[in-house]
Amino acid sequence: MSAADKKMNYRDVVQPNYRHVGKYTPRIDAKDIVTGHATYLDDFNVPGQLYGKTLRSPYPHAKILSIDATKAEALPGVRAVVTYKNVPEQWGLGLPVHRHLLEDEVWCVGDVVALVAADTLEIAEEALDLIDVEYKKLPAVFNAEDALKEGAPQLYKRFPGNHVDNGIKYFQPDGPWWQIRRGDPEAAFAECAYVAEDRVEFDKMPSPAAPETPSAIAKWTGGTDYTLWASSQSSHILKLMAEGRIDHSNFDVRTFNVGGSYGNKQSLMTTVLSACMLSRVTSKPVKVVMTKEEQLTCYEVRLGSIMNAKIGITKDGIVNAIKGKWLVDTGSIADSIQGQVGVGLGEAQLVCAKCANWDMDSEIAVTNRQAAGIVRGYGGQELNSCLERLMATAMKEGNLNPLDVFKKNYVAPGDRFQWRDGRWWQSRSSMFFPEAMQGAADRFDWDKKWVGWNKPYWVSPNGKKARGVGMGVIGNADINEDNTECICRIIPDLVGKPRASKTVIEMDVTESGMGTRSNVVKQVAEILNVPVETVYITDPGSKYNPSNYGLCGSRGTITTGKAATLAAMECKQKALELAATHFHRSIDQMETKDYMVYVRDTPELMVPMFKLCDKELSICGYGKHLELFNIPSCIAVFVDVEVDLETGRQRLLHIGAGTDIGQILDPKAVEMQLHGGIGSACVDTASMEECLQDPITGRLVTASMLEYKMRTFNEFPTYDAYVMESQIDTYVFKALGIGEVSGAALGGAVLMAISNATGKDIKTYPATPGVILSAIGKA
Amino acid sequence: MKKDFVTLTVNKREYTFSVGTAFGQLPPSETLVDTLRNRLGLTGTKSSCNEGACGCCTVIKDTYAVASCMTLTVDCDGSDIITIEGLEDPEKGLDPIQQAFIDEYSFQCGYCTPGIIMSAKALFMHNPHPTAEEIQEALSGNFCRCISHYTVLRALNKVAGNEDAELSEMHRAVDDISVEDRIPVRENKHPYNTSTWQACNEHSLAD
Repeated sequence: MSAADKKMNYRDVVQPNYRHVGKYTPRIDAKDIVTGHATYLDDFNVPGQLYGKTLRSPYPHAKILSIDATKAEALPGVRAVVTYKNVPEQWGLGLPVHRHLLEDEVWCVGDVVALVAADTLEIAEEALDLIDVEYKKLPAVFNAEDALKEGAPQLYKRFPGNHVDNGIKYFQPDGPWWQIRRGDPEAAFAECAYVAEDRVEFDKMPSPAAPETPSAIAKWTGGTDYTLWASSQSSHILKLMAEGRIDHSNFDVRTFNVGGSYGNKQSLMTTVLSACMLSRVTSKPVKVVMTKEEQLTCYEVRLGSIMNAKIGITKDGIVNAIKGKWLVDTGSIADSIQGQVGVGLGEAQLVCAKCANWDMDSEIAVTNRQAAGIVRGYGGQELNSCLERLMATAMKEGNLNPLDVFKKNYVAPGDRFQWRDGRWWQSRSSMFFPEAMQGAADRFDWDKKWVGWNKPYWVSPNGKKARGVGMGVIGNADINEDNTECICRIIPDLVGKPRASKTVIEMDVTESGMGTRSNVVKQVAEILNVPVETVYITDPGSKYNPSNYGLCGSRGTITTGKAATLAAMECKQKALELAATHFHRSIDQMETKDYMVYVRDTPELMVPMFKLCDKELSICGYGKHLELFNIPSCIAVFVDVEVDLETGRQRLLHIGAGTDIGQILDPKAVEMQLHGGIGSACVDTASMEECLQDPITGRLVTASMLEYKMRTFNEFPTYDAYVMESQIDTYVFKALGIGEVSGAALGGAVLMAISNATGKDIKTYPATPGVILSAIGKA
Repeated sequence: MKKDFVTLTVNKREYTFSVGTAFGQLPPSETLVDTLRNRLGLTGTKSSCNEGACGCCTVIKDTYAVASCMTLTVDCDGSDIITIEGLEDPEKGLDPIQQAFIDEYSFQCGYCTPGIIMSAKALFMHNPHPTAEEIQEALSGNFCRCISHYTVLRALNKVAGNEDAELSEMHRAVDDISVEDRIPVRENKHPYNTSTWQACNEHSLAD
């Protein structure tokens, strides 16, 4: 038997037959959502609360020469006005901390100048107009390249030359890591058959623009304790970040349903510290809800990203040499951006996993743009949008089919890579990723539509419209990141006829749209073999729940799944042990269903769990997940785009996607996680989404929903996904998360498709009609 | 014309507000979304962009979908308003649109969902069998960033009776393997005679 015959075939994968897992179960909050009863932060109020508002800078960089709040303070109903002059304590922003919440200097349009707390929102807003501020405008810089030049305006003392520290200890415990360096790229280029060098800019820092704006209610009543209600998808991260900035503080963070986040609403630091400061000076709860204009003007956006790189591909289509530099614009606040850069560099190695020769440098700069922060993809989309356009340049040299190149180069089991912690990891993920790419390509008709580089596969008879296809691949090894723990309890009802039991999962999981709370419930129900509706999960919050890092990235599936199922298995094991003793049989002969334990081969021997428990007490189990980076995910995306060669307008006709996600927990939820890659500043960063700044004033001209362009209901392409379930060795249910990266390679794919439709290389995000017309010489 | 009082019906209940700027009065500048959320506690209607662009605050005013953030409450005198909380019938249960949204999982974060449902409901009130294109047009003022669009359209096309309108498909590779070729999985052998279980499970304070 040859080695090829021994290779595992997809049909050899045993597909389990579960009671709940893999089937659609309506979400536990489904009825509340469709009836308007689900609670979001702004639907909640605390008795006696005040309303906080922020006076914001009209200038991108300025010194505050004087500030007079006398008139504002005199307005009836105003309870406090806080400026840098009277702030009782300085709280830091950024990681590493490089500035304070309130200073006599502002670094971006919308930066915090003063905070007001008042009895009503209207009074707080009126008070803002009564604060007199005299500014001295300072020179500003709006992109990373200019910021790093000699003689550029210096923003922060902490960052000489506007250069943000390479690496960060929180993410890289062994020491800073910000470069991929190994092999000998120069020698390898000489041996590569196809070499190309180019530059790609993904620097319009688009906004994920969650429908619910960032918001918080802070309550400080003296001492060290703060109670905080926030529109955050992770109470744990918020607590971690807030306690690190307010000395001797202890945060009890509570969350609700979150109205969209996409990784973007986690620590909410400026908003949270503003609310805390106002509560601190008034000793009252203070609610701060950003307006949509504030959110778009000065809340966190995607990183600005520019990459210059030379890429070499062998005649066999293996990317074997990469030399370049990735320049990252973090805007006016640098908050642990090094972690995102680390993930981006890690993902570069997943896509080019066979490359032995690297010299890829990175550098982060602060500028006077609105702060960049975490957005779906965590640096990966920003990296991929540049890298895959550059790979395309080299592929074009050799007229290679991108599908073949991506299939050959993507990380396979056994391939090694350095992840964001700077350590080496070896993939033990799926061996079926190339097959998933091919499966999606077949459904897309890639073989027919791919007619070569910069060639349309269809042109309208009148020559006015042309269609082209493009593709991209991305994956993420962060889906096992950070630790999580869970307590699971089988609780007998005290009375009842028939007597019922229920299960309570104690776990800190906020619902921000992914359905993770329901998936945890479903998996515990599967382990215990009980109806889903008898399993409950505790309200999210940091104070009483076991620790969970939160639903950042795609970590939710594996980490919560593993901790919860281990806890449930311990519960079940205890029940089996008790029953074995009860029936004088071995544990192996015991089985459970619907809170009964029975002898497998003699099912008439059965006992309800409540009779096995100590009287009126529950059966408890504990489970935990510990961080790993050795199971990368993967998704290949394909797009079909039509370009109007007269108007430069492009239309996305169809999206195809292929992935192996181990095991589907809920088919409808998976489908929507894939669709999600269209929203939250993913695919449309290649067509319309951008934060446009006036170059003279530094103000955003896209600071409203009317100006910031988003895809509407009547503009949606058809979507087709090909999903494999190869039972990847993650935890008992063999699933992995995919949502974070589902759209992260779409931007590059769209630019490839537009290039093919127009016959011209397009490397500018977004490819607006102006960009396209100028590329085809019609502007 | 200056009004002293404004009367509107919200979810079949009539409310009269005194118009003025004194404490507790309804100021002429107050928008309908603020009245619904802050005075009536109907927080299902969301206040998001406050400029009539996002659709989160959509309610039905006299059978038409309106952006309640761009509607002054004083302009609603005599109007019949329906919000997301008013769609469920106490006797018949959920509105068919609401039920279809649950069946098809037509939301993610759910923040824009009330607005989407109200826009759709207004469409269906005037046109019980809209085409797939008419549904998409009717919802083009409702933004969703999680991307629930495909499942929303799936639910609404189902309610409208548009069987063939499907924009999205998720194909499971396992379906390509014929049943005979699959590796059989042992069925769980559970005793399904639950009547005896119940007898065994009965318990009351008298025990």
